[in-house]
Amino acid sequence: MLALAALLDRTGLAASLNPLAPKAPPLRARAKSIIWIFANGGPSQVDTWDYKPELAKRDGQPLEGFDAKTGFFPASVGPLMKSPFEWQQHGKSCTWTSGLFPHLSQHVDKMAFIHSCWTKSNNHSPALFMMNTGETRMGYPCVGSWVTYGLGSVSDSLPSFVVMSDPKNRGLPKGTALNWGAGFLPSVYQGTWLRPQGEPIDNLKRLSNLTDERQRAQLDLLAKLNHASLGGSAVESELAARIESFELAYRMQTAAPEAFDVSKEPEHMKKLYGLDQPHCAHIASQCMMARRMVERGVRFVQIYSGGMENQQSWDCHADLVGNHTGFASETDQPVAALLADLEQRGLLNDTLVIWGGEFGRLPVSQKGGKPGRDHNPHAFTVWLAGGGVKGGFHYGETDEIGHKAVVDRVGVHDLHATLLYALGLDHEKLTFKFQGLDQRLTGVEKSRVVQEIFA
Amino acid sequence: MMVPPLQGFDRFVGGDPGRCPGLVWGRAFGPPSVAVVKVFDTPASLGRVFVLASLCVSIFAAAHGAPLPPDHAERMTKGLEIFRTDVAPLLKEHCVRCHGGEKTKGDLDLVTRDGFLKGGADGVAVVPFSAAESKVMKMLRHEEEPYMPEKKPRLPDAAIAKFTAWIDAGAPYSEPLIEGRKPARDRSVVTAEDRKWWAFLPLAKVAVPQREADTPVRSADATADKSVRLTSSSHPIDAFLAVKAAEKKLTLAAPADAATLVRRAYLTLHGIPPTPEQVGVFEAESIRDPQSAMRNLVDTLLASPRYGERWARHWLDVARFAESSGFEHDYDREGAFHFRDFVIRALNDDMPYDEFVRWQLAGDEFAPGNPLALMATGFLGAGVFPTQITANEVERTRYDAMDDMLSTTSAAFLGLTVGCARCHDHKYDPIPTQDYYRMLSTFTTTTRSVIDLDVNPEQNAPKLREWTAKREPLAAELARHEKELRGKFDGWLASGAEMPKSATWSVLTFSETKSQAGATFTRLDDGSYLAGGTNGGQDTYTFTAGTPLRRITGLRLDALAHPSMHKGGPGRADNGNFALSKIRVFAKATGGGAETEVKLAKAVADFEQNKASLRIASSLDDNAKTGWAIDPQFGKDHSAVFTFAAPVDFEGGASLRVVLEFAVNKQHSIGRPRLSVIADTEPRLDAESLPGPVAAVFDALRKRNVLDDKQSGTLFDWWKRRDAGWLALDAKLAKHDAAKPANTVKVLVCAEGYKPLTMHSQGANFFANTHILKRGNTELKDGVAAQRFLQVLMPSEDAAKQWAWAPPQGAQFSGRRRSLANWITDTERGAGALAARVIVNRVWQHHFGRGLVATPNDFGRTGAPPSNPELLDWLAGELIRGGWKLKPLHKLIMTSSAWQQNSVRDAAKETADPVNDTFTRRVPQRLEGEAIRDSMLSVSGLLEATMFGPGTKDERSKRRSIYFTVKRSQLIGSMVAFDQPEPLASQGARPTTTVTPQALMLMNGPQVREWAEAFAARMEKETGDDARIAQAYRIAIGRPARSEEAKAARAFIAAQTASYTAEGKPNAAHIALADFAQVMFGLNDFAYLE
Repeated sequence: MLALAALLDRTGLAASLNPLAPKAPPLRARAKSIIWIFANGGPSQVDTWDYKPELAKRDGQPLEGFDAKTGFFPASVGPLMKSPFEWQQHGKSCTWTSGLFPHLSQHVDKMAFIHSCWTKSNNHSPALFMMNTGETRMGYPCVGSWVTYGLGSVSDSLPSFVVMSDPKNRGLPKGTALNWGAGFLPSVYQGTWLRPQGEPIDNLKRLSNLTDERQRAQLDLLAKLNHASLGGSAVESELAARIESFELAYRMQTAAPEAFDVSKEPEHMKKLYGLDQPHCAHIASQCMMARRMVERGVRFVQIYSGGMENQQSWDCHADLVGNHTGFASETDQPVAALLADLEQRGLLNDTLVIWGGEFGRLPVSQKGGKPGRDHNPHAFTVWLAGGGVKGGFHYGETDEIGHKAVVDRVGVHDLHATLLYALGLDHEKLTFKFQGLDQRLTGVEKSRVVQEIFA
Repeated sequence: MMVPPLQGFDRFVGGDPGRCPGLVWGRAFGPPSVAVVKVFDTPASLGRVFVLASLCVSIFAAAHGAPLPPDHAERMTKGLEIFRTDVAPLLKEHCVRCHGGEKTKGDLDLVTRDGFLKGGADGVAVVPFSAAESKVMKMLRHEEEPYMPEKKPRLPDAAIAKFTAWIDAGAPYSEPLIEGRKPARDRSVVTAEDRKWWAFLPLAKVAVPQREADTPVRSADATADKSVRLTSSSHPIDAFLAVKAAEKKLTLAAPADAATLVRRAYLTLHGIPPTPEQVGVFEAESIRDPQSAMRNLVDTLLASPRYGERWARHWLDVARFAESSGFEHDYDREGAFHFRDFVIRALNDDMPYDEFVRWQLAGDEFAPGNPLALMATGFLGAGVFPTQITANEVERTRYDAMDDMLSTTSAAFLGLTVGCARCHDHKYDPIPTQDYYRMLSTFTTTTRSVIDLDVNPEQNAPKLREWTAKREPLAAELARHEKELRGKFDGWLASGAEMPKSATWSVLTFSETKSQAGATFTRLDDGSYLAGGTNGGQDTYTFTAGTPLRRITGLRLDALAHPSMHKGGPGRADNGNFALSKIRVFAKATGGGAETEVKLAKAVADFEQNKASLRIASSLDDNAKTGWAIDPQFGKDHSAVFTFAAPVDFEGGASLRVVLEFAVNKQHSIGRPRLSVIADTEPRLDAESLPGPVAAVFDALRKRNVLDDKQSGTLFDWWKRRDAGWLALDAKLAKHDAAKPANTVKVLVCAEGYKPLTMHSQGANFFANTHILKRGNTELKDGVAAQRFLQVLMPSEDAAKQWAWAPPQGAQFSGRRRSLANWITDTERGAGALAARVIVNRVWQHHFGRGLVATPNDFGRTGAPPSNPELLDWLAGELIRGGWKLKPLHKLIMTSSAWQQNSVRDAAKETADPVNDTFTRRVPQRLEGEAIRDSMLSVSGLLEATMFGPGTKDERSKRRSIYFTVKRSQLIGSMVAFDQPEPLASQGARPTTTVTPQALMLMNGPQVREWAEAFAARMEKETGDDARIAQAYRIAIGRPARSEEAKAARAFIAAQTASYTAEGKPNAAHIALADFAQVMFGLNDFAYLE
C-alpha cells in the first residue's frame, strides 16, 4: 500500500498524480508570478500613455478616409479630438504621461511600454476573450489556465490562479467567467474567482457546529476508513490522491482567509495603497491581496478595474474626462503602491505586473453632450513592470494621431507569447491535445516574443 | 508504476507544436500525440482521462496493421528525444542529401517518417521498434551492402548505437528533415486509399469467434470451478474479447460478487445506488440463477425513467447543451430545456438511434406535426452565440454559428473533426475544405427561433374540433349579414357615397415594430396592431412607418378594444387598462438624412381616467409615473390626438418613429394600438381615420372615376365597419377566435422558416448563400457552396443527390437538413456504418470507462484506432439489425462476462496491457458529479422524482442534477467542481480530476450537510450505534461495514456526541450522527463505481 507520507512529498510521487504539482519551467524564467491589472472596457491610449502632440494640432479636424465602422457607433463619429488631459514628462526616461496618473507616473522608469498593441475585435466580449484566451470566440483556455497547466502550483494551500472583479456592484467584465475559464483544458486549471462580496470562495468556511477539532476528527475518520479499503485497488494512487485532497482543503480553509486578510497590514502600508481613501480603497485592498498571494506562491492574479456596462468601466463612449478621471483615480495610487511595495520586498524581480485593457480608443471623438471615444482595435498601449523588463523602455509606435499601430506591431498572440516567455514557457511547445489537434494559446500562425522589452 | 519526466514540455508535443499540427508539414511524420499517452498514462485520475481524450496510436500501426508493443507510447517519446538530439543531425549530415534532398536514390526518401517507413526500391528499410530486423541497420553496420553512408567511412559506434536506440523506440520524427517540405499529397482530393481508413469502410461482416471448447476465457486460477470456456454458447462479446486477449496471453477476470454487480448496474444505468432491499433481492435471485438474475435486473432498470435521466446527461455533454447564449449578455434561452426533455424521453422510449439522429438534425422536416421532433432540433441551436454583433462582425459571426452546428454534428454523430477543414484541407483526414463548406451549406437558412408549440396535439384535438364546429355558425352569420350589407353598400355608392370630410386621418402601416419586453404585433385589417406574446414588466413600443404625406400636423393614437384582452382591453393589464407614460415622435426624410425629434405642442383624448396624474397631458411630460389611462371605460376604443408644434414637411414624405413608453405601472401597455397622421389641417379627434388604401379610393371617387372590384372591395371593408350589426357579429366571432383552445409552450427550435431570434445585431440573421471561403476568411469568397457531404463517405463525388429530399410545395424548410440526416443514417451507401460505430462506442465507453475507440469524438487519423475492430463492427451491426435500439445493446453488454468482471488489482495484467485495451479487467471509475450528488440525495431520502420542465439554478433543489439549468455564465458550482464540462464544444469524455473544491464541498457545503442530517435521521430508525453504522454502510455503499470500519465509526460517534454534549447541545447524538453521515459521503467507496 502507498504510504500517505509519500503523497505529501510534492516533488515525489504526488507530482505524477497531482495535475497541479509544480513543474520547473523548461526555459529560463524571468518572472515567477504575474499580476495583471485589467483596465476593463478599453482605456484610451492617447489619453493615458501614448503621447500624440500631432493630435492636439489637428483637434477638431475631420479624419480623412476614416472607416466609420471601426468603432461601435458608426453614426456618432466626430472629428479628431485632442487629449483633454495635461501631459508631462517623468523619470529618467522622460516618459510622457497624461495627468491621469500622478502616482504611477513616479514609476515610469520601472515600466516597459508596448505602444503598438492591436487586436482582432472592436466589440467588448470578443476582445476580452481575445485578450484572455487568444481567440475572439468563447470557450478557449485563458492565459492563467495555460500558465497553471504549464507550471502547476507552488502553493499547496492556495489556488494558483486567482481573479478579482469589481466589488462596487458595477458588474463583471463582459463574458464573465469565460474570461478566466479553462476552456478545453481540465477544469482544475480554471481561475478561482474571488467573490467580491461575502465569502470569496465557495465552501471555504466551516459549518457552524464543526469546530476545528470536530472537523479534524471527521477527516481523521475519513482517512482511516478510506485507507481501510485502499489496498489492492486498481486505482490505489488515484484514491490516495483523493484522500490527500481533503487534507489540502483542510489547510486551505486557514491559509486562504489569511492570505486575503489585509486588515492586519501595518497602517503605513494601508496608507501607501490608499486603503483609507474611499475612491480607491477597493483596488487598494485587491492590490494588497495580490501582493500577499504572490508572496505565498500564487502564480497568476488578475484584477479587473471597472465592471460591465459602458460608464461602469473604462468604456468611455461619453464623457471621456469624467470616465477616465474616475477609473484612473481608482487605480492610480493602489497600483503605484503595489509596484513600490513589491520592489521594497524584493519581489518585483520575480513578479511581472501588467496594465492594459482589451482594446484602445479612437483619436476621433464620439459625438455627444460630453464627448467620448469609441472602440479602436487598431492600437492600444500595455505596460509591463518587474519580471526582468527594461524600465522606462518604449516599444512600438502608433501613427502620429494614435489611430493605428504602425511600427513593431504587437498582436495579442505576440503579447501572450511574451508573457509565457517571461515565465519560462515556450508558447510553441506548451500544447494540449483537443479535437484532434495540438492546441496552443497563441494559435496556428507564427507569433513573436517581444524579447526587446527584457533586460 | 510510471513516473513521467517532469522537466521540459517536449512531452506535450509530437509533431508540429501548433494548433493545427499539419499546417506546415502535413502528416508526414510521427504520431502527433504519442507523447501525451506517455505522460498521462499513469493511474492518476487526471491521467486516465487524458488517455481517454487523447490516446492516439501511431499512424504506422493504423496504416500497416502491425501489432504495436504495449509500451510503444513511452518508447516513442524517448525516440523523439533521441531523434531531436542525435538522429536528426546525423541524418541531415550523412543521409538526406541523397535520400530525399538533392536526389532520392533508390527511391528511398528519408525526409519524412512516412517516406522512411515506406522504404525504397529495395524494399522496407526499417521495422519500427526492432532495429534487429531493420535492413538499414545492417547497412549502417556494414554487414550488408550497399554500405551506408555510401562511399564514406562507417559511422562511429556511438552514432550507430543512437540509430539502434531510435529505431527500437519506433523511429519517430518530430519534424521533416527539410523545412517547408510540402505535404506528400494534395488533401483536396479524396483517394481510394483514403476510403480504406478503417472508420470509413463498410461494417465488416464478422462472425462471432468460435474456438475449441478448452480455450479458457477466464483465469483458471482462483475461480477454476467457475471458469467459463469459450464454446458456441459463450457470450459473443466475451468471444470477441477472448481472441484479442489471447494474443497477449490474457484472460478475463473472475466475476464480481452479486453485491458489487447490483451496485454497478444501478449506478451505471440510473446513477443512483440501490437500496439495501434491492441489493437483497438481487443477491437472493443470483444464488438461484446468476444469469437470469442479471437479465431481470437489467430489464427492470431499463424500464425505469431513471435510466433516461442518467444517460441523457451523457448525450448532453456531446451536444454541448446549455440554456443561455454565452458571450457578453449570456441571455437565457427561453424553452431551451425542451431539448433536454426530448433526450430523456427518447432514451426512455428507446427511440431508434437513427431516428434520434434524424430528429435532432431535422425533426421539423421529418415530423412537422410532432412536437417532440421539433424539440429535438434544439440540438443544432444549443451552441454559444454572441448577442451583440457589430456591423463588421455580422457575416463572420454567421459562419461561426454554422461552424458550431457542423462541428457538433460531425463530432457527435460521426466522430470526425470536420471543423478542422474550415481554413484549410484537413491535415489528417480526407476532408477537403470544399467538403466542409458544401456540408456547411446545409445550415444556410437554419436559425434559432422560439415558437409556440402545441405539446400535446392529440389531447387537444377534440377540443379543437368542438371549437371549430362552434365557429362555423358564427362565421356563417357574419357572412350572411355581410351579403345583406353589400346591397345597402351598392345603394350608398349609387346615391353618391357620402364622403368623409376632406381632412382625414391616414393610418400608418409599420415597417418595423419593436417591444422592449418582447411583445409581438400582428397587423389587423383596420391597420391596428394586436399585441401578443410576452407582457413583461414595463414595456416600450417603437413603431417605424413611412408616409408620403407632407406638412403633417399631428399624430393620432387609437387604443382599440379586442376580445382577447382582459375585459376586452384596450390595455393589457389585468383589468383592461393601460397607462401611457410618454410618447415621443421622431421624423426624417423618406430618402434619409438626420432624424430629429418632433415637438408635441398639445394632446387631447376622448377620455381620461382623471384630470391629475392620469390625464393625456401626462404622456407629454418626463415624469414616468404619470400618464394617460382610461379606467373604468374598458372594452371600448379610445383615441388621443397629438398636435405637432411645427408641421413635419419633407419633399417625398417622411419616415416616422413613434416611441410609446408604459412605465407608470407593470404590464400596462396598449393591447391594440393604431397610429395615424393628418396633413394640412388642425388635427381633430372627430376627423375620420382612413387607412391609406381607403383614402385612395375616396380620391378616385372624388375624381369621378369608376371603381374597379378591388377598390370597391377596399371601400366596402371600410364601410361595413360603420354598421353596428356587423360590428357586433364580428366582435362575437373575434371573441370566439380568441378562445381557440391551445396547449402551447415556448420551445427553442433550430430550424427554418420561423422568425429568427434576433439579438443586438447590426445586420442580418443569415445570408441567402453559403460561400466557400479561403482560409476561413469571409473577405475571400470562392463561389457559392452547393450542398454535398463528405466525399470519403459517399460512393462518388456527385452522389449527394441520392439523399436529397425536396420538401413539398410551399414548405417553410429547404429539405437540406433532412438530406444530411438521410446521408448520416444510410448504412448502405452513406455514413450510417460510421454513425453506428460511433454510438456503439459511446455506449461501451460509459459501461467500461473507456471506449473500444479511446477517442470517442475522433475516429480519424489523429484518434485512436479501435482496440477490437471486429467487436466494434459486430456490435454496430447488432445495433442496426436490432432496429437501432439502445436498450438491447445495454442488455447485451451487461450480460457479458466482460461487464461482470471484478475490479481486483492484477499487477501482471497492468504490465501486459497498461491501458486495458483488452478489457480483461474492470478499472474502477469515479462517478460523475451528477451521480455523486444524486447519490447523496437518494441516500439521504430527500431526492425528488419530479421529471421534466424548467430547471433551476438553485443548488438547494432536491431534483436530479440533470434538471439544473445550464446557464453558461452561472454554471452550478458543485457540478463544475466535479468535472462537468463547460458547454462550449462537443465533449465525448470527461476528465476526472481530484481537486480541493470537491473536498471543500463535501466538508463545508451547506447542502451536503443538510443531506447528511437527513441521512442521519434515516439511520436513527435503527436502535444503537452498531445497527446504525451497519445500516449506513448498506444504504450508502451497498455492503455491511467491516469490523474495523465499524469500530472506528463507533469511537468517532461517541467522541463527537461527548463533545456536543459537553457544549450543552440538546441533540448531541443526532449532530454526531450527522457528522458521521457526512464522512460517509466522503468515502472513496461512495464516490467510486466499485
